[in-house]
Amino acid sequence: MSEAPVDLTCELVVQSLAAWRVAGAVERSRDGAIIICGARKDIRIDPAPSDPMFRWMVTIDGRTRRAISVVAVLRQVREALDPGYAANRVRVALTALVPY
Amino acid sequence: MPADVIPISVLTGFLGSGKTTILGHLLRQSGFSRTAVIINEFGEVGLDHELVEASEDSFIELKTGCLCCKIRSDLAQTLQDLLQRRDAGKCSPFDRIVIETSGLADPAPILQTLMTDTSIAGRFVLGGVVATVDTVTGVGTLQREDISQKQVAVADAIVLTKLDLSGPTQPALLDRLAELNAGAPVLSADRGKIDSQCLFSAGLYDPHGRSLDVNSWLAGERHSHARHDADIQAYAVVRNEPIRAVTLTLFLETLAEHCGAGLLRLKGIVNVAESPDRPAVIHGVQHVFHAPAWLKRWPSDDRSSRIVFITRRVPQRWVEALLEAIDAEVADASVAR
Repeated sequence: MSEAPVDLTCELVVQSLAAWRVAGAVERSRDGAIIICGARKDIRIDPAPSDPMFRWMVTIDGRTRRAISVVAVLRQVREALDPGYAANRVRVALTALVPY
Repeated sequence: MPADVIPISVLTGFLGSGKTTILGHLLRQSGFSRTAVIINEFGEVGLDHELVEASEDSFIELKTGCLCCKIRSDLAQTLQDLLQRRDAGKCSPFDRIVIETSGLADPAPILQTLMTDTSIAGRFVLGGVVATVDTVTGVGTLQREDISQKQVAVADAIVLTKLDLSGPTQPALLDRLAELNAGAPVLSADRGKIDSQCLFSAGLYDPHGRSLDVNSWLAGERHSHARHDADIQAYAVVRNEPIRAVTLTLFLETLAEHCGAGLLRLKGIVNVAESPDRPAVIHGVQHVFHAPAWLKRWPSDDRSSRIVFITRRVPQRWVEALLEAIDAEVADASVAR
């Protein structure tokens, strides 16, 4: 994985903590991981080693799970840090936006 | 427009803000003669329907509860019944429906019902959402009543009422309206009188011109007035580079997943990388999204993607960071492949 997705994911995590109004600070470790500290749980986000399926590894309080995308990373982080979080599933409207 | 597809407009606004007065005037205009009206009253004794003159057989009062929270299925059933009567020639013919919500109703669930109910899908198209604001009490109401803010925030057009009582509109009110919904045109009603053409052409689809009016729909998208401490904010995300289809899909799914009820309304025109000549029009209310509508061509020389957000506690910077991160990952994955 190139640097750009990691940098932008780090920025997204910073903004996410603010948006969700949860405590915690975000830093980059020397080896490039994204670290969330001072929150309800300790979280480390690493780019996955070359893997055709998973791009990220998310370690929460010592337990590592892989994540297929930045979207999946975000979901794991929020579930860990925001106890009131209940995900919504997108619904597609049955009516057309404009008549065909 | 296919003959059987009927636009439904929603008239919302806080208690006493003049919805019924405006509706009464509209229904006396010749252009509104083929209009069916559904009024939702919330209370033991409904009065609003007594104040509106309309053909009785195309006029329905829903008074079993507040439309937004109790009787959404009743709304769908009512629309279905109305359509069946129309198709069977058992009521006056109509080619438009106006729903006047109760003053305490949250319009978002009503829009969701109109977007998702299987029994009415295919026969209706969402018209404009119009919110009335009382110029005498509007500033205080907007400050005090969350639901009033939401009614204004989701509107396609805002109508100022009671100007004869308030005198010149207070700048504080106009500023607040701009904070909540900069994109919506602000119109004035003179003792309830207003040009119906201006009022209900505020949605994406203009039934009179039978065309898609994206420019008006997204008007003002670049003029964000969001206050950083505001609960409800309106802002626009603008991208000059085309957005990949997969990025757009992931972005909208993630917005729905994380924002839910905080995403009051989203509407936009998107330059999709795979479809450079035919932009996509997107629209969502909370976690419910229309399938994109593909325009035949760009409505102007501006090829940028412009997405207008009306949100409650969803910071603009988070939305931008989300789009950037997803786009970077999709680009990276594409290169790696």
